[in-house]
Amino acid sequence: MLELSGLLLGLLAGMLCPWTVPAKWSLYLAAGLLAALDSALGGLNARLKENFSLKIYLSGALGNAGIAVCLTWLGEKLGIPLYLAAVVVFGTRMFQNFAEIRRELLTSTQKKDKIKQDVVFKLSRDTKSGEK
Amino acid sequence: MERQNKGGRLAVTAACVVLGFLLALQLKSVQRNAAADATSASRLETLQSLYNDMSDQKEALERQLTQTQAELEQYRQQAASSSTAGEALKAEVDHLELIAGLTDVEGPGVTVVMQDSSTVNTTGDEADYLIHDNDLLSVVNELRDAGAEAISLNGERLLATSEIRCTGAVVSVNGRRYAPPFVLFAIGNPTTLYNALTMRNGVVDVLGQWKIEVKVTVSDQLLIPKYNGVQTLEFAKPAAGEVE
Repeated sequence: MLELSGLLLGLLAGMLCPWTVPAKWSLYLAAGLLAALDSALGGLNARLKENFSLKIYLSGALGNAGIAVCLTWLGEKLGIPLYLAAVVVFGTRMFQNFAEIRRELLTSTQKKDKIKQDVVFKLSRDTKSGEK
Repeated sequence: MERQNKGGRLAVTAACVVLGFLLALQLKSVQRNAAADATSASRLETLQSLYNDMSDQKEALERQLTQTQAELEQYRQQAASSSTAGEALKAEVDHLELIAGLTDVEGPGVTVVMQDSSTVNTTGDEADYLIHDNDLLSVVNELRDAGAEAISLNGERLLATSEIRCTGAVVSVNGRRYAPPFVLFAIGNPTTLYNALTMRNGVVDVLGQWKIEVKVTVSDQLLIPKYNGVQTLEFAKPAAGEVE
């Protein structure tokens, strides 16, 4: 919920922000945007799987954004659309993260049920054995 | 573990804030840039319609001018028929008009047809193969040097004050724009004019090196139209007294 409200807050801030980005910088902004999207989804995924590490997360988020912007800049200098590399990588990762989040969310209730079932089973066995 | 969890949550939230901010900014910018494109397109349309209006207006004025000139001619004839002094004055006016390029003239001369080069571009510079204002100017200069008495470019009479100037892809003559092929009529001694243009290392020879097509033909009878406009002198006035 906190993440969603953060997203809304960011959207609101962006809408109310008085300046816009000139067309020249649009590509850099897009690269940064993709990196942010990747970070948000990746972080969410890691947190759901409960293997989240703040250091790894922060270095990844900042590093990815930096590399994406640098690639865009380098591509512009070399005349090769290198930003496509960022688009492809972040695009694939987005789908991957989404798939993992989806799986995690959909199976988490089943896992809980399974745990509950096991506990109930064990408890009933315990009580049975206690009766003996 | 609890602290780490909380920090992680905050970090992901921060990423979400950044994501939202960038998303909104980019959306706004893209929208704004698209709107700017649309504005320039509509401005183009406005300018085009303004241009059309002006061009219509110019045509109407030209018609009016022709009519007024015909009336003026009638008045002159009436004035001339009334007295001998008037007749002499009219002869003088006619002569001056002929020199100034205000009457249609005919006579022998040469026709020059110039066309952009059609050869393969090997230098990489497209401009080398096109006719420029200075190419036209050098041809006209050569014709004048050879004693051409009246010159027209694509039907536009060249006066003493006429410009031949590059205006983008076309050439402006007397404020009107002309595109290739350029057809020059020059009245004068046909042989002199022809030889002046086609001599070795002359204008035609040099232009021919770039394979710019220049065709010079001698004609027995050429008709060169009068200047279609009005000349007004704003600054030049007849000198009052003796000038040292």
